[in-house]
Amino acid sequence: MCRFADLSLSAGCFRLIALWLCILSLQGCAALQSVPGKSALAPGHLAAGIERNDFSVAKGDDVIGRLAVVRLEKGDTLPDIARHFGLGITALSAANPGVDVWVPEAGKPVILPLSFILPDAPRRGIVVNVATMRLFQYKGDGKSLAVSTYPVGVGTKERPTPTGPTRVYRKAARPTWHVPASIAEDHRKKGDPLPAEVPPGPENPLGEYALYLSKPGYLIHGTNKPASIGLKATNGCMRLYPENIEVLFNDTPVNTPVAIVNQPYLIGQRNGVLYLEVHTPLEDSGAPELEKMYEKLRAIEKKAGRPLDWKKIREVQTEARGIPVPIFKLRQGSEQEVANPLEVEHPDKLSGRPEIPDLKLDAWYVLAADVRNEIDARRIAAIINHQGPPIPARVLAKNDDYRVLAGPFADIGEARDAVKRLKIDLEIDGILIDPVRK
Amino acid sequence: MKGTLLLIAMMLVLPVTMIGCATTGELEKVQADQKMLDAKVEQAVQDAQAAKAAADAAKAKADDATARADNAIKAAEEKERIADEKAKKADAAFQKSMRK
Repeated sequence: MCRFADLSLSAGCFRLIALWLCILSLQGCAALQSVPGKSALAPGHLAAGIERNDFSVAKGDDVIGRLAVVRLEKGDTLPDIARHFGLGITALSAANPGVDVWVPEAGKPVILPLSFILPDAPRRGIVVNVATMRLFQYKGDGKSLAVSTYPVGVGTKERPTPTGPTRVYRKAARPTWHVPASIAEDHRKKGDPLPAEVPPGPENPLGEYALYLSKPGYLIHGTNKPASIGLKATNGCMRLYPENIEVLFNDTPVNTPVAIVNQPYLIGQRNGVLYLEVHTPLEDSGAPELEKMYEKLRAIEKKAGRPLDWKKIREVQTEARGIPVPIFKLRQGSEQEVANPLEVEHPDKLSGRPEIPDLKLDAWYVLAADVRNEIDARRIAAIINHQGPPIPARVLAKNDDYRVLAGPFADIGEARDAVKRLKIDLEIDGILIDPVRK
Repeated sequence: MKGTLLLIAMMLVLPVTMIGCATTGELEKVQADQKMLDAKVEQAVQDAQAAKAAADAAKAKADDATARADNAIKAAEEKERIADEKAKKADAAFQKSMRK
């Protein structure tokens, strides 16, 4: 009898342990498969902020940062959200497919892709990944490694940023832009001739700081068009937000090594979990880079002796959202280390957001558009607002129409200049409006 | 013999006459029945035609509603496509404007 009792007790214990293990393993699965976008915090418990640029790199880890979520407010644009949170516009759009860049729906949560897999390159000096449009600046004393990361604008398809090793050979604050012949020719064709040199100031596309690279003609510099960060919009240079280039400039000595790589498919691990981060590849570089990724994954599978979830890998590849996605547990129990996105408060003021001065009756204006659709009007106004240098613009409702009014401008010269820029840059035929009260 | 023949003839004529009388009565009845049946058939045909007309009208209405719904969907899709196109065009112009 006693024997029977012992046996049933131990069987009960065994069942309890089995149940406990089962629950634990289920929790692990949920963590590993967590969908980016679901916040870890309940509404009303929002984080005041999140680290955007500076991270420490744990030994053996390749993944830094954490995903976050913020709820949009009326009047927000994705470029404003991107700049405030230290992201490029392409990265933010890719992480939030279907969200209107210029007129997103208020109240909608957007993912801030503030987690990055470090590029597969030596961790020293500056590494720029043109495919992810991100710069990494490594700092370390041998014992610990830290990295600062900033979004960049890179070269166009016609004038791509060249990859390979280089170094910073010269630095300049308030640089003068010596206009290259090819760019001068482009502008002449557009009817917007440039001088041979553009002095420092709001018209200078280099911004306030420049790091000249040993690769002749290529620079890492600031910009007078902050909304271009995260776009393929340069002539091969790499441009940063004004606030980022200032920090990088002050932190980078001459002779710093710079490695420019093109890695749209990134594989890395953190706390025993393997992550895959996929970006839409630049033109003509997709297939060979994809083959490299599959080769690496096959090698990892062989080494682990367990099958990878190839279906999930293909999903991540197809979606190309630029977010590190956990795809494999390298060691048991490690799945619990995958952090959920952090929901952050919407800031009172988005840093770098273009200011729109109050209406003045004694100022000049330019009617940029008169449309029936409010969304169209708001989009046009937002695009004009984000020009560099900025042109203030607002939407005025008039009966069933919506008018986009650029201004105020102090004098007719400024207003005419705005008309010219609207025509050349955005193909908008603006109409000059003289002051109501002179 | 004559008498026998007459008897036979009478025996033949009488029933024939009687049969004739019975057929006329029946015929009238049949004709009356047929008339009623005709009326009923006519009514049924009319009813069927009315039902068919009603069904046709309902089908036409349904087809019209379907067509209108299809058109509304197409219009909405077209509107969405135009909005998408406008957004893409605006975005392309913006990206171009961001070059040096």
